[in-house]
Amino acid sequence: MKEIRYFIEYCLVRVALFLFDILPYRLACKVGVGASTLYWWIDRKRQKVAIGNILKSGIETDPKKARSIAKKAVHNMAILVVESLRSTDFLDGDKLFDHITLKIEPDAMAALEDPEKGLIIASGHFGNWEVAGHYLSRFKPVAGITRKMNNPRVEKLVKRRKSRYRFRPIPKHDSNTLRFLEVLEEKEILALLFDQHAGAYGLMVPFFGHPAATFKTAAMLHLVTRTPLCFASCKRIGPMQFEIKTSNLIQVKRSGKKEEDLRNILSQLNNDLENVIREDPTQYLWAHRRWRDGE
Amino acid sequence: MSELSKEETIIGQLRGILEESSVNDLDWDTFSSATSIEEIGLDSLTILDLLYDIEETIGISLEAKQVLKITTVGEIVTLLIAEGA
Repeated sequence: MKEIRYFIEYCLVRVALFLFDILPYRLACKVGVGASTLYWWIDRKRQKVAIGNILKSGIETDPKKARSIAKKAVHNMAILVVESLRSTDFLDGDKLFDHITLKIEPDAMAALEDPEKGLIIASGHFGNWEVAGHYLSRFKPVAGITRKMNNPRVEKLVKRRKSRYRFRPIPKHDSNTLRFLEVLEEKEILALLFDQHAGAYGLMVPFFGHPAATFKTAAMLHLVTRTPLCFASCKRIGPMQFEIKTSNLIQVKRSGKKEEDLRNILSQLNNDLENVIREDPTQYLWAHRRWRDGE
Repeated sequence: MSELSKEETIIGQLRGILEESSVNDLDWDTFSSATSIEEIGLDSLTILDLLYDIEETIGISLEAKQVLKITTVGEIVTLLIAEGA
């Protein structure tokens, strides 16, 4: 039964990919946005979560406007999928530079360009994080956690399609500290998305003023290995146009009080993420339940 | 300090560190060099916490990769003594 379902899903994805390939980019985006609108109407639960999160963040107080942001955020996720599937059109070779604007702080750039240094990049589900990973792998190999799709046929198909340059995915089920340490030992870039509900593994740190269980891994790796750490984002600024921005390197001197040090780093990361979200709230994945406890 | 008393001191320090952070229901009076890492409930994430605490309490910075391979408290002690604790 499962095999039949997987096969049907695979066929549907193949049809979608075929359409995305033959359609001009803007039209492919329109098809993606149309499909995401359908999803928006079907998945009422996620719709409610997204609107609730926007209101809770304080970015918008009017439920109608919050709803409009949430809907646009779903559309932007569809555009992200189209961009990722069409990434070979614009990310390969020197074409890339026509599509990327850089705002990288000098100390972060120095760490990127230093072959003797690893770098931990912490980011959130904002804009197109896949494009950022792809671009940064031009400096040195990038490793990041990726979630395997449930359908192995679709997983294989999508994997073949995505242009990743020197981006090395670490499957979520295999994302233990040893793998991360190997990446840093090789002086590569470890890219971690820290903005999902961390449960027992997290530390409660304010996100838009409300406590959120925040993943400690990036901060702990920085404190223990002394590998430089910064926040990065990749905002969509036009069709196939992106702005990659980093913070300065986060410099937290160890105080001897672990929780205090962690809180300090994670507050900076949450703060940096809040700032980019405020620039364009429609590019954030609001449908995730990050605030689950603590209040 | 003799090797034996040095070992006992380090085990005492490790007990102090681990007792605070362990989530497992362990009888800490039986804590010794033979205690396994699995018993204490350390996983690959909490091992980073341990490294931070060791550096702050004992003053030795251990390579994280070395610590990830150990299986007993005794092996951490050996590693710390080798690093000059």
